[in-house]
Amino acid sequence: MGKFILRRAAQALLVIIGATLLVFLANFAFGDPFGSTGDRQVPPAIAAANRAAFGLDQPLPLQYLTYMGNLFTGDLGVDYNQNRPVIELLIETVPNTARLALVAIVIDIFIGVTAGIIAAVKRYSFADVLVTVVSTLAIGIPTFVIGFVLVATLSGVGPFPTVPRSFTVEVPWYTEVLLPAFALAIVDAAFVARLMRGSMLEVLRSDYIRTARAKGLSERKVIGKHALRNSMIPVITYIGVSLGGLLGGAIITEGIFQYPGVGYLLFRAIGANNAPVITAVVIFSVLAIVVLSLIVDILYAYLDPRIRLS
Amino acid sequence: MTTLPPPTGGAPTETTDVVGPTRSPASPPTAAVPPKSRRPTGQFRDVWRRYRRNKLALIGLGIVGLLVFLAIFEPFLTPYSPFEQNLLNTTAPPGNGHVFGTDVLGRDMLSAVIYGAKLAVIVGVVTVLASLLVGVTLGAIAGFAGGAIDAVIARVTDTFLAFPLLIGAILIVRTFGAGILPVIVALAIFGWTTAARLMRGQTLALRENEYVEAARSIGATNSRILTRHILPNAIAPVLVYSFTSIGVVVVAMASLSYLGVGVPADIPEWGRMISQANAFLRVPGKSHLWVFPSLAIVLTTLGFAFVADGLRDALDPKLRGRD
Repeated sequence: MGKFILRRAAQALLVIIGATLLVFLANFAFGDPFGSTGDRQVPPAIAAANRAAFGLDQPLPLQYLTYMGNLFTGDLGVDYNQNRPVIELLIETVPNTARLALVAIVIDIFIGVTAGIIAAVKRYSFADVLVTVVSTLAIGIPTFVIGFVLVATLSGVGPFPTVPRSFTVEVPWYTEVLLPAFALAIVDAAFVARLMRGSMLEVLRSDYIRTARAKGLSERKVIGKHALRNSMIPVITYIGVSLGGLLGGAIITEGIFQYPGVGYLLFRAIGANNAPVITAVVIFSVLAIVVLSLIVDILYAYLDPRIRLS
Repeated sequence: MTTLPPPTGGAPTETTDVVGPTRSPASPPTAAVPPKSRRPTGQFRDVWRRYRRNKLALIGLGIVGLLVFLAIFEPFLTPYSPFEQNLLNTTAPPGNGHVFGTDVLGRDMLSAVIYGAKLAVIVGVVTVLASLLVGVTLGAIAGFAGGAIDAVIARVTDTFLAFPLLIGAILIVRTFGAGILPVIVALAIFGWTTAARLMRGQTLALRENEYVEAARSIGATNSRILTRHILPNAIAPVLVYSFTSIGVVVVAMASLSYLGVGVPADIPEWGRMISQANAFLRVPGKSHLWVFPSLAIVLTTLGFAFVADGLRDALDPKLRGRD
């Protein structure tokens, strides 16, 4: 088991390094954040001085190494726009995105797992058909359309905050998080429901379930104690990967709802060619995905011995 | 028809060929008619028969057909030019000669949506073809060669996979400027990974088959084995995935345009139209601005998803028996 973990961890590290390299290269081609743009004329001397101050006049490999070195000490550079350390911006926004991701996952699990179990246990019933049809449809509807429809219909209604709103409006986190989390969760819940249903159907056909029933165990025990555990495995891995993606910042959904998370930060930074913020956020997203995939892989190997022995 | 059970590799959609192509046009007249090859590509009629039974798949095919029709005949179908702006008549609700109303720039909504369909089909198909080209090649090489080559390709795939599709695409489009080609390139660069993974998995399973060994024993080169034997048998899940992937690409392109980073602003594109509707969200009577493009996106995604599901069920009768 230890060897498996080490191997996967080394692979993950390689992937992270590769990704940071890619981002850095992309940033380089972004264009000069201090040059003249449109009607904002900047005298070349000042532009050059700004560039030197941020270390942009050094050769690229040196910039990359400096950046990686700084990364380890927690220094992610300084935001070009407001001159604030990027790490501060991240500290402000990451908890919001984390909250959004967690709430979305909880809704996900709630709706998806329950629907999947019901559909599997009461196979061919109306509930089964309903779940199958609705989940197929829900998968087809893109998150961004769902988000948009929600904003168009429900924002400003009842407890939900209005969109668009100015920065000065204080909104308690539990109302702010509901609509975007729901938008994100719908599609995922559909996937989870289908996954759960398929997995449960397969498990219910297996021999040990037959044995459990033959032993005389109540149906509740059979399903709740035996079937559930085994059928949850693919669902857990899917949710883990999904969580990683969500932590990466659901950029569109956050943009639509004006939710002050990592995705929205990235969105604004891209508009302003704000390279340090962009690099930092992308690295954070990649890290989240890679780390969570790693955890999920290890968990999967732990739960299913066939994997770690392959 | 007598066929052997699938090899223990357990790949989900392999066919049951024992020796590669068994069609022998020059079989001696005295022998019994040899069983027809069971490769999916050789059995169009069978697949079509199974596909036809699935109502949802037929609906999906209808939608896709409609989209392709709109894409090809767009110049004849649009009542007005999709580029013609009429700043005196912006955001008009449906009626008055404009079946879907006009958008924020005074363009006819119906024509804009039809043009958007053409854009979606073109970008979707080209992007998926490009990512298939790269993904299938790399995946097949990785699966077939194994060892160090496999490890390197697998790491490269993982690196690209770790990037969220949208973020990567945004980076690339910002680097190369707005335009249809950068969007295609950007989406293809981050889209090839899943095809590669699928292909690799299939190749890994199929290369243990006896017909590969047989082909090698008569002197077939690696590339011939790959193209003649493994590729046709492995392509089924990749094909299914590519249809879903067209839907994903269309949504991704719409998302990019919604964020302002996609195709240039003057080209009517569904995502862009939705973002332009943002300013009119709370204004009553203007919902046509976002309803029609949203419906278009949803229909497109659903259509391709249904086709993909139907194709998956039709290509592999074993899967259908599961539920």
